[in-house]
Amino acid sequence: MTVFLDALRYLAYILIFPGFIFCFLTGMLLCGIDRKLVARMQKRVGPPILQPFYDFFKLFGKETIVPAQANRTVFLLAPLVGLAAQVVLQLFIPVFSFSAFSGVADIIVVLYLLLIPALSVILGAASSGSPYAGVGLSREMVTILAVELPLVLVLLAVAKTVGNAMGTGLCFSLSRIVEYQVANGSLITKLSMLPAVAAMLLIIPGETGSHPFDAAEAETEICEGMLAEYSGAPLAVYKLSHSVKLLTMTSLFTALFLGGACRWVEKLLLGIYPAMAAGIAIVVEIIILFLICAVLVAVCVSLIHAVTARLRIEQLFKYYWTVVTGLAAVSVVLAWYGL
Amino acid sequence: MNHYPILAIMAYFLCAFLIVVFGKNRAVRNILGFIGTAAPLCLLIMLAEPVLFNGAIISYWMGNRAPVGGYAIGIALEVDALGLFFGLLIATAVFVAMIYSFSYMSHDDNEPQYYTLFLMLCGGVMGLVLSGDLFNMFIMVEILTFAAVALTAFRNKVFGALEAAFKYLVVGCIGSTCILAGTIMLYAQAHTLNFAQLAAFLPGNLNTATIIAYALLFIGFCTKAFLVPFHPLAADAHGAAPAPVSVLISGVLTKSGLYGIIRLTYILFRTMGLGTVQFWLVFLGSVSMFLCVTMALAQHDFKRLLAFHSISQIGYVLTAAGLATALGVSSGLYHAMNHTLFKGLLFLCAGAVLHETGTTDLGKLGGLSKKMPVTTVLFLIGAFSISGIPPFNGFASKWLIYQATYQKAVESGNIGFLLVTVVCLVTSTLTLASFVKVTQSVFFGQLPKEYENVKEVPFGMRLGMGILAFLCIVTGLFPGLVQRFLTGPASNAVFHANSYIDAMMGFGYAEKFGLADTLPVSFESVGVWSPISWLCLLLIMLFAITIVALTSKRDRISAADKKAQAANAVSGPSFLDGAPAANKYELFFGGEESTYSQVGGDDLFWGFKHNWRHYFSFMHDLHSGIVNDYSLWAVVALALAMLYAMIIL
Repeated sequence: MTVFLDALRYLAYILIFPGFIFCFLTGMLLCGIDRKLVARMQKRVGPPILQPFYDFFKLFGKETIVPAQANRTVFLLAPLVGLAAQVVLQLFIPVFSFSAFSGVADIIVVLYLLLIPALSVILGAASSGSPYAGVGLSREMVTILAVELPLVLVLLAVAKTVGNAMGTGLCFSLSRIVEYQVANGSLITKLSMLPAVAAMLLIIPGETGSHPFDAAEAETEICEGMLAEYSGAPLAVYKLSHSVKLLTMTSLFTALFLGGACRWVEKLLLGIYPAMAAGIAIVVEIIILFLICAVLVAVCVSLIHAVTARLRIEQLFKYYWTVVTGLAAVSVVLAWYGL
Repeated sequence: MNHYPILAIMAYFLCAFLIVVFGKNRAVRNILGFIGTAAPLCLLIMLAEPVLFNGAIISYWMGNRAPVGGYAIGIALEVDALGLFFGLLIATAVFVAMIYSFSYMSHDDNEPQYYTLFLMLCGGVMGLVLSGDLFNMFIMVEILTFAAVALTAFRNKVFGALEAAFKYLVVGCIGSTCILAGTIMLYAQAHTLNFAQLAAFLPGNLNTATIIAYALLFIGFCTKAFLVPFHPLAADAHGAAPAPVSVLISGVLTKSGLYGIIRLTYILFRTMGLGTVQFWLVFLGSVSMFLCVTMALAQHDFKRLLAFHSISQIGYVLTAAGLATALGVSSGLYHAMNHTLFKGLLFLCAGAVLHETGTTDLGKLGGLSKKMPVTTVLFLIGAFSISGIPPFNGFASKWLIYQATYQKAVESGNIGFLLVTVVCLVTSTLTLASFVKVTQSVFFGQLPKEYENVKEVPFGMRLGMGILAFLCIVTGLFPGLVQRFLTGPASNAVFHANSYIDAMMGFGYAEKFGLADTLPVSFESVGVWSPISWLCLLLIMLFAITIVALTSKRDRISAADKKAQAANAVSGPSFLDGAPAANKYELFFGGEESTYSQVGGDDLFWGFKHNWRHYFSFMHDLHSGIVNDYSLWAVVALALAMLYAMIIL
């Protein structure tokens, strides 16, 4: 009976929260907020916030065309694998004190799982046989290379700081990192983490491929690059995993640096409704998570999008490997010497 | 059971000679080849239970010349968990390469000679890892070097084959000479060549002569493992050699070099406690890792690219082994095993492409996934493994290596090791980048006209690749079991040199020399990785999404539309029509000159390479391809190693 209940619980995690349905709704909403904000910043009216949902269902009704040059299986399977991996990744990122699968979460695993959605887009694009997709994937790969180095440094800085504080020297477990913050306050308040926070804020638009780091998808130049040959349902799935990526990156930021943001929630609720504190706390925490994610999207995706022009791919690479890496490296050195 | 090691070595050599005599007939030849590789594999698997699981150490004295009065005179074989671990890797890779060879080499002339050399090489490597005697080891090094040189030049009609073999011969001989010189110096000092006796004698007698011998032996084994600065040889040799030989050179021969280095530093000299030695190994490993992965990014030949990656991965192993922690050594050995599996698989895939299309030039190939679906899937498994994509085996071992380097950084308080972690992680991403390039250039993208009649490779070749792909997945899914039954015992053996000495020379021999096993063995890792649960999650998710996708999808394409599409597919204009046929990467942007397009020439990662252009042009000038230069590098490396050895002292 307990096995059955456990299975049911995990199924609920996978399908509802923090799995598929949660990802679908919040990701799409974040995407809508982003589009609306960018439009308002550029003095346009902009689409309604629910526009990504409309687009998604509209695309599902459209015809799916597989190019004659394409390898059909890979072309159609790649978006699905990408979305699945993206949602699985979301399952590993703790939501404040709640984590669905705590045992398997580890920052290096997360680092690699972040690669899989990008890789599946790349493989799908490669299999389409289109030259535009070829250019797109080449740029996407360079973007991945560019972002990887600072991201690694940021993660190491966090691991070292938490490890120092816990006395173990190193701590790779994401849920442990969050637990530490719940007990001792968010890492963003530490001086040594500030450069890493700045670096991570710059990594988010790079990972999600938004302006000015969207050389790989440049619509006006290479027809959305890797998505050039996609249409109908597979395109809808790609758009969905792109929106989920917004959620993943922002909630990863929250887990790394703002893990203690909800410390007061449970205490407060215990005072008011002790019987249902845990149940209500999670709802409140989800709402807070969503708000934080929305603010992060507004700051590091929409705002940067609205005020910058697209970088060329080699400028992008240079930027990440000098400025952002430099910021992250400062943080690592500071964390290393325990500041 | 004590006879199994010698029987395993003899099986290779015996079948090699029998093929010379009876090899004219294909059936006889193939049967002999099969027995010659399958029998040692079976013998070693039978040894796994006592040696790996129960921790026994098997020693065998040829002609029963056991040591007299604490002095070993006879030739000895000694199989501990480390030797057996490498032996198993080698036997497996060799067995698969042999199966693959049956179909792959069937169109070549001089097949009997090929199988003879092949088995000689296998016997040489097997003899090397099971040997308990330094001079015996040198003889095996000679056998395997010359067999490898001859096999490199086997297809001597191929452009560059003789040149590659000549380069390999020259620098390989420098390496062998170093090993011989080191052996002589040790013999002069210790009056023995037996490993166990040397291991008892050397740690207490580190003087100028023995440490110079250490440097000589080290450089000798570096040439066998193709570590920097010997990496250009590997690229040339792999480019010219038949694919199964590439498997031997990258999966088997480099392992013999690694085995030599580990045996030398951990057991014979026991210098791993010294920070200077750790720095040496880690530095060499990191440089090999990073330099070769960037070299690989610049390649446009499938097999040369794989060759550079091969050394890059060896760099990982050396880095991990150089950390001198239990986690480091076991993760290094794990990666060594994975390297044999995935690199063997990738070379066999390259061979399959060469077999069907006649070229390995990335600029000319394309779109083969429709013609060779099985090879494509197997290649992708190999590519994911080497790039460390979960849940394949490369991820499991690299992940342990990152942890090991980070743990070392924290324990030693040295921020330099943190840099090594970062280099490891970045190298891994660069590896992924270059495999994206291969995937895009060979298996996806546009199918050139001349390859329209390409077919899937024969069953024998698919079987060989399939075995390795299967092993890649299995070792990736069960890292706990691998750690417990294979790499754990092997790294245990590395840290217990005393039991190695006692098994050979009689109990209590090591203690007489006042040696103690100093390094503690613990496999504490800082994180948990359970691929099974992750895979279950991914599958459930994929299943759910697929169901949603299938139920909501309506097929709106009518039969007439399909016909029209099919007609279009045949007669419709292709992107390649009417464009100059020079190089497919120059055709982006409607056939603009490559100078105006962002993807110039065969250079898929322009954005990366542009920023590193000075580095790449420096590397381009450095790798002149002239054997004199490479010999000079070898001599310089030797001189530096000797100088550094004096510092160790």
